[in-house]
Amino acid sequence: MKEPTMKTKKVRYIWIPIIIALIAVPIGFFYVDWSKSGDGAGLYSRDWIPDAMFAYWNPDDFYQSVSTIKGEFNGEQCISCHQAVTPGIVKDWQASRHSKVEQKVYCNDCHGSNHEDLHMPTPKVCSSCHETQHQQFVDEKRYGFPSHALAMERALDSKHFVDKPKAEVTACLQCHSVATKCDSCHTRHKFSAAEARRPEACITCHSGPPHPDDETYFNSAHGQIYLAEGENWDWSKPLRKGNYKVPTCAYCHMNEGKHQVADKPIWKFGIKQVNPLSSGNKIKRKQWVKMCSDCHAADWSAQQLKAMDAERKRAWSKLYQAEAILKGLRADGFLYPSAKQRPAYPGDTKHSLIQRERIGFFEGQASAFYNVSPIERDYFEMWYFENLAAYRGSAHGDISFVNKSHKAMDKSLQKLKQHAKRLRAHGKVEVDETTLRNIWLKGEYTEFNRENN
Amino acid sequence: MFIRLPRKLFLFYVSVFYLIGIPVHAENNTAPTGSFKSKACMECHKKNNPLLIKDWRSSAHANTQPITDCVACHGKLHQAAASSSRRDSTCIRCHGGKKDPVVHSYTTSKHGVLMQLEKRSYDWNQPLADANYRAPGCSYCHMHKAGHNVSAGIRDDLMDKAAEKKVREQTRIACLDCHAPRYITRLFENGERMLEIGRKKVREARSLIEQSSVTFSDDELAPARAQLVKMQQHLTNVYLGVAHQSPDYQWWHGHPALDGDLLRIKGFIGELYRIKK
Repeated sequence: MKEPTMKTKKVRYIWIPIIIALIAVPIGFFYVDWSKSGDGAGLYSRDWIPDAMFAYWNPDDFYQSVSTIKGEFNGEQCISCHQAVTPGIVKDWQASRHSKVEQKVYCNDCHGSNHEDLHMPTPKVCSSCHETQHQQFVDEKRYGFPSHALAMERALDSKHFVDKPKAEVTACLQCHSVATKCDSCHTRHKFSAAEARRPEACITCHSGPPHPDDETYFNSAHGQIYLAEGENWDWSKPLRKGNYKVPTCAYCHMNEGKHQVADKPIWKFGIKQVNPLSSGNKIKRKQWVKMCSDCHAADWSAQQLKAMDAERKRAWSKLYQAEAILKGLRADGFLYPSAKQRPAYPGDTKHSLIQRERIGFFEGQASAFYNVSPIERDYFEMWYFENLAAYRGSAHGDISFVNKSHKAMDKSLQKLKQHAKRLRAHGKVEVDETTLRNIWLKGEYTEFNRENN
Repeated sequence: MFIRLPRKLFLFYVSVFYLIGIPVHAENNTAPTGSFKSKACMECHKKNNPLLIKDWRSSAHANTQPITDCVACHGKLHQAAASSSRRDSTCIRCHGGKKDPVVHSYTTSKHGVLMQLEKRSYDWNQPLADANYRAPGCSYCHMHKAGHNVSAGIRDDLMDKAAEKKVREQTRIACLDCHAPRYITRLFENGERMLEIGRKKVREARSLIEQSSVTFSDDELAPARAQLVKMQQHLTNVYLGVAHQSPDYQWWHGHPALDGDLLRIKGFIGELYRIKK
């Protein structure tokens, strides 16, 4: 007699998770939809309003056509008018392959024919003809950050992007739009493959303190030969063994013209330490050695990778020392200003309860390069500028840059130690001092930033 | 009828004389050969292109020492004087080396990149107008349609917002040869907002230093003031990034650098207060 009651009880218990799931799953979907339904885009779309300029950097989310001119037009009609209005883009198109193939690709093929409903072409539009390249490009997403295909998400979902005034962070989208438009590399309206093969095509974004890819490449032996002779090479050739005397950015990172830059990097962006000998990275190392072997001996190429491992290890030992100093200050209450004295970290007021200083990659310091204390900022610069410069130097074969950057890191570490000593001498930080609080919480930009995102 | 006829006749005569005049004028004035000094250039060109000389006179080239005269850009020889001086290399001789922010913000922009890759294929005899060059060089924008007031699109005091509109109108014309008007309008307005945010950072730092000067001596505040000087350069970087369309200058050399300056000034002054207490 006992058995049937057990069974009915069990059956009853099964209903509990089923009911919970039936309630939770729709709520989950609803929540995600709701969070993406704001004026902005991405995970925090409800927290910000886009700048008018975003329409051009992220057209899928923000572009809207205007109705200044009405009517449907075919390609020849577009050209006859735009020859007078914007002669530059017509000349560009005339020089492009789009105008020279048998079945010409006209303006309206990409922008649409209705002048009141024009659109800015996204990679998807290009993919209707250039399917292989688009698939390779989208395939990058499998490898996670950093990649071209995920670049827009990376920007929009960054807390500092959400937090800062949108006119200020328009600067970000100009490079991160590499995910949303193909003309970052194949500039409009010529869309030349030969142009994108040249290293200069990359430097508008791949330059500056955190990624001096331009300088380190041009300083390297490869780059020096390119600078001396590159102008005379035939850039219409594919990026294949034997076609170029030295490799360029695209030769290594987009070998054979594969539009996939994320599948080979071992150290990725360089902002966290990785195990270069993990099983996944061992495959990547073989790919690198195979490619370097287009010109170099395989042994020698493998040696170069080992030298880079050693350089990275050296860099991270310095960075960890610096992190330890900062974490020591935090633990002992000497970090001035503390998280409670200064404006909140980006996103903190809305998305987390605890105000705490963030130190290092895993605590999210990458989004915290402002609203922080000077000593944290010093570490950020050591980590983001000097360390990454050293990495770029060793990856691209510019030894002088490696040495220079390591010297800079040594100097920064010394500075950090002295600064920490000074902060400890000043004594423990008291939160409630009005003058000190005013210094950090008041001011024209600080208040503007708090109110405008 | 009585009034109309002479007008028509007048127009007829004008056009006839004009048509006859062109070859005659050209024959008499076939580009003179030989070496010239700027004074000689002026004498002739004052008659032939008075506007050009007037433009130049109101430019910074004519009003800052050392004066940048005709010969400085065009050389002494009259042959090919225009086409050779249109190249960026002419400007770079004075305007900093390759690493100077003024130049570097341009060379890392898409315009600058295309110029570097394509300059050999351009016909430099073409006028600086009508998108005759796929990428604009220095002269295409700053001397558009041979306008010789190079500084018309440049402003000296970045903290002054009032001068902006004039500058915008001046430079807009060149952009429109290739870009849609709405795009350019938005780009300019966005640039102004971006620059204004930069100014806010500078003003915040400046007013904090001024407030603190009641409590602390000039010597004590010297490092903060030195940092404020750096802010001016970083604000200039934002401006150059906006003007030359270099994301790297708008961002890494610009706004985050200004953030760093501002928080260091705050940190430094905060420490002064803490020591004093």
